[in-house]
Amino acid sequence: MAARWSSENVVLEFRDAQATTMSVDCLGSHAVLSGRRFLYVANLEAPSELARKMSRQSKWDVGTVQWNPHRSQAHIFAASSNQRVDLYSWKDGGGSVHTSLQGHTRVISDLDWSRFEAEFLVSSSVDTYIYIWDIGDARKPAVALSAVAGASQVKWNRRNRSVLASSHDGDVRIWDRRKPNTACEYVAAHLSKIHGLDWHPEHEFILATSSQDNSVRFWDYRQPRKYLNILSCQVPVWKARYTPFSNGLVTVMVPQLRRENSLLLWSTLDLNSPVHAFVGHDDVVLEFQWRPQKEGCKDFQLVTWSRDQTLRIWRLDPQLQKLCVSDPADQPTDGASAVAETDKSPASADSEGQHARVAVGPHPHDRDGVSRAGGGRDSAAAASSGLAQTLQQEFSLVNLQIRNVNVEMDAVNCSCVVSAHFGTHQVRLLMKFPGQYPNNSAPTFQFISPTSISAAMKTKIHKILTDVSLQKVKRNQNCLEPCVRKLVSCLESDAEDGPSSGPFVLSNPVAPALQAFPRVVNTYGSYQDANIPFPRTSGARFCGTGCLVYFTRPITMHRVAPPTEPTPRSLSALSAYHSGVLTPMKIRSESQNALRLYSGSPTRADKDTVSISSFYYKERKSRRFKSKRDVGDGRSIKLAGKVIVQEISCLLPVHKVLGENYVLNTRDTEDTCQKNAAAALAAGRRDVAKVWALASAATGRGLSPDSDPDAEAPWASHPFGRNLLETLVEHYSRMSDVQTLAMLCSVFTESGPDRPHAAPQAHPARYPGPSEPAVTFACRDTPEQAGARSESPEDGRHGNQGHADLREREQHDMNKRLLNPTGAPQFDDFKKCYAEILYRWDLRDKRADVLKFASCPAEPHQGVGLRVLCCHCGSPSRGTQCAACKRLSFRCVVCHVSVRGSSHFCLSCGHGGHTAHMMDWFRRQEQCPAGCGCRCLRRSNF
Amino acid sequence: MVSVINTVDTSHEDMIHDAQMDYYGTRLATCSSDRTLKIFDVRNGGQILVADLRGHEGPVWQVAWAHPMFGNILASCSYDRKVIVWKEENGTWDKMYEYTGHESSVNSVCWGPYEFGLILACGSSDGAISLLTFTGEQQWDIKKINNAHTIGCNAVSWAPAVVPGSLIEQPSGQKPNYVKRFVSGGCDNLVKLWKEEDGQWKEDQKLEAHSDWVRDVGWAPSIGLPTSTIASCSQDGRVYIWTCDDPAGNAWTAKLLHKFNDVVWHVSWSITGNILAVSGGDNKVTLWKESMDGQWACISDVSKGQGAVSAITDTQQAEQ
Repeated sequence: MAARWSSENVVLEFRDAQATTMSVDCLGSHAVLSGRRFLYVANLEAPSELARKMSRQSKWDVGTVQWNPHRSQAHIFAASSNQRVDLYSWKDGGGSVHTSLQGHTRVISDLDWSRFEAEFLVSSSVDTYIYIWDIGDARKPAVALSAVAGASQVKWNRRNRSVLASSHDGDVRIWDRRKPNTACEYVAAHLSKIHGLDWHPEHEFILATSSQDNSVRFWDYRQPRKYLNILSCQVPVWKARYTPFSNGLVTVMVPQLRRENSLLLWSTLDLNSPVHAFVGHDDVVLEFQWRPQKEGCKDFQLVTWSRDQTLRIWRLDPQLQKLCVSDPADQPTDGASAVAETDKSPASADSEGQHARVAVGPHPHDRDGVSRAGGGRDSAAAASSGLAQTLQQEFSLVNLQIRNVNVEMDAVNCSCVVSAHFGTHQVRLLMKFPGQYPNNSAPTFQFISPTSISAAMKTKIHKILTDVSLQKVKRNQNCLEPCVRKLVSCLESDAEDGPSSGPFVLSNPVAPALQAFPRVVNTYGSYQDANIPFPRTSGARFCGTGCLVYFTRPITMHRVAPPTEPTPRSLSALSAYHSGVLTPMKIRSESQNALRLYSGSPTRADKDTVSISSFYYKERKSRRFKSKRDVGDGRSIKLAGKVIVQEISCLLPVHKVLGENYVLNTRDTEDTCQKNAAAALAAGRRDVAKVWALASAATGRGLSPDSDPDAEAPWASHPFGRNLLETLVEHYSRMSDVQTLAMLCSVFTESGPDRPHAAPQAHPARYPGPSEPAVTFACRDTPEQAGARSESPEDGRHGNQGHADLREREQHDMNKRLLNPTGAPQFDDFKKCYAEILYRWDLRDKRADVLKFASCPAEPHQGVGLRVLCCHCGSPSRGTQCAACKRLSFRCVVCHVSVRGSSHFCLSCGHGGHTAHMMDWFRRQEQCPAGCGCRCLRRSNF
Repeated sequence: MVSVINTVDTSHEDMIHDAQMDYYGTRLATCSSDRTLKIFDVRNGGQILVADLRGHEGPVWQVAWAHPMFGNILASCSYDRKVIVWKEENGTWDKMYEYTGHESSVNSVCWGPYEFGLILACGSSDGAISLLTFTGEQQWDIKKINNAHTIGCNAVSWAPAVVPGSLIEQPSGQKPNYVKRFVSGGCDNLVKLWKEEDGQWKEDQKLEAHSDWVRDVGWAPSIGLPTSTIASCSQDGRVYIWTCDDPAGNAWTAKLLHKFNDVVWHVSWSITGNILAVSGGDNKVTLWKESMDGQWACISDVSKGQGAVSAITDTQQAEQ
């Protein structure tokens, strides 16, 4: 079974079932399809399983089939066949007729199991009788209701066990089975034949009728004169049924209107437009039923059977269900109850399932009669009123929020006016949509005043628009939006070319026009995929530091649509390639071998399965394409292209080889600069080599500033000092050469005598790397020692002596620096960025070198620190001397003399002593000299 | 010279929708309409299939590698309304987390900068953006921005972690005060900027220029300069470069990079933020570079897979 690009998730195909009707059992696990020769039982739990067949011997089609809605009798279903009702029982993958109910004298039109008593069944017939059967006693009907007129539908009330409704041409009769003599209520519901009847799942007195007169009407049978509400559909309605969730209604058109294969979902709170269309079936839908909901599942499932011989299961997620609850702001109470309804529904899945058991089978004779009677008379009217529907749908779905363009849409008159201002030009274009639109009939275009473009331009645009629209309608697609966009692009290009092009004039925005369809954005998203973007089939990403990863469609995959046409915006465009709308393409694909729609489903069970790849077709091995590349003739068709990794580091301003070769020697800056210059030259960066030469000159010893502010002006204030450096930084910033920037900043931070935040505890590798553990072991004994060992130059202490004017000195310190101190945070950012790149290059030492020069403080040390517990008083201390007892705090475990200098400890057992003694000991031994048994050498991994 | 260093035959059964390499460029993750993700070891020009991840029930649109400091973690999003976070442990890939909080196709996933921890932004066709933050112990904190984009959100991209007003010196010893920001694009033709304030996500800016659905947004990596740059591309075929010099981040200016003839699906920045890769419905990949005077020019067209990067010539510029 294949994935579909719509809300349906299962498609089962029964090629030669020729089933006329279908029913889903109350457990939601089986569906029965009734064909003339066989009954098929499909397992909905395991749809891939082959359906079981039961042969039946009859020359009559099955009129209606329905499973018993009671769990205790869930294995029983009734099927009507001409004048007889057969009761089948289904057990262990096989079934047989166990009872036949005979009594009607003419064909049975409908049957319905009672929702309250498992053994009661009602059947209606054109013989004017309605029989209620007790299947325990099948010899004769338990109750007979005589209606004078033949009945087409009969349905038990869902709330009251005694009440049922039947339809007789345009009338509805309400019966109480306790008073079988006469109907207790008459409703003159419609002027034409009623095709469908459905009781409200919650309200005892409310029912919906669907009719040939293009409407669905809602009734309270206590007030039979006036309907509660009406849904005008412009086409005859075959069935209209309430949804198991609140306020929803699903309608399906009368089968002979073969144009409309979709089911529509409506909100009963707002009947102006459907909230969703189930698009997918290639032919008319014959039957639809709700599958009882699984425990804990928020989605409802709709099972449909169509003349295209497929059974589909559609998922209705909560979002879709919510669409039926009109605007929650308007209907706070309804909204709340709807939510509660959804919430409790898993628990009441059983009863919902029972409610959903409404099967109304079209009898073949009936249907043919309808198509003969209705087809000719109504089709013209239906087509034009249907057009208004399609147009309204298209209008509300278009996305035309384009600057300078205003579209006034008038669905009633099948026209729209596009006004656009471009430069000094103004265009007003009237589009009229013909009756058959969009089925291979294009709209007409007419420029109306005050259009101000030249006649030649008009002709040109007219031709272009006609072409665009024809392209679209040939595939039965809407063309309004493509046309408007094309018009805009024509005008835009003209405005750019034209000598008289002036500044854009902002026209009034689109908003007023759209207000005619206030629900335009969400509610009318009748195709669920309409708001899902069309998938990417090619893409390119920069990855790592110097790679470009890209993939494209395989070169053999071509667009079905002409290349001049832009790729569609949303995924719903694919449904055109699937739902049978795209017939021209299909005919072509069958007649010509070169073209074919390919399936993309993993199982590829169904050749017509729609996937993204359906949008493209694959050029078969035609001779023209048989180049060297097509060696693998016998190989299966590749839908996935190759992913190509390309080395593009030469395009980048940073170079790995430079990262490797650059040095940052703190002691000899001049040497650093010279080495780096050589490295840059070797890497082909001559400009950077020159920069290093300049840097070398600027950091020369002869130019190092005097510490006395009264001496000559520092080199930094020279035009070749700070100014030059700032110019360089700006230049390389524009080049995004973060490597050069970071290196320059590091070198010149170095040459500056003082660093703004260089705290004494500066530690070479203290900047936590992205993937290094954040915990650093500070194994130094004292902070002072660590500071002294740090390689960072700390020659700025003279500031502390401060006998001269402190402010003047500070000013001088600032002035003599070559890098402007105010830019320090930014220079740090350069270094951090470069460090990140070095990390990706796996040059961690170099990274540490650079980060040493970052002035921004690292995160405060929060890792593990070591303290010494005084061997005399036991209080913890940081230094060699105990703060509490003032004695030297620990003794060497080897010589038992207090340790002042360097020491060494085992991190496992905590014993240690003079470094020299420990080294000496462990040269020969493995175990701790304290005799604790610790194998210090093995356990200390530091 | 630009050269093809690897050609990976993914053997996906249907079209590929995204391909991305990890932080070090050693592994490649791909996703496809065949509902699977695949991970390849591509070191030294090889291609070894490391994992074939199944779990999605619909086409998988996008993948995203997390920063390696969190381990080997990959996120994927799909038509089936799910986001799955995958993690490698002891050499095997497994589901680490599955997020089902969206009501329609999830179109984009993007990990935040590592400075923010393990945080994932997801944009969905239900119009919402979810932010999933790993809080340790298998726990994820979920924040959802409902109705971020009317009709649907198509793309999300994080801003690099920079301290606002980075030119002001930080008080020493304090953790830098990063502000979390990201950009999103949607079916309302808008590019929106989002900012976290006091733990709440707020719409910061709304950038209008596109006349059709915005298909992708990309926040350029920072190299330490005070300018922020965003690229956006759209169904209308246009690619805009948005820049903001204002430290407060309020004054954004748009510059049209180019108008393509077909939809532009994807934009991607190079690590130094000066080259943009653009790809779209025309099945071509073009690279664009900003010149010293701030003009954008096409520097190559890698669509043919030949890897020929030509210098900017006058004819090419005239074409653009």
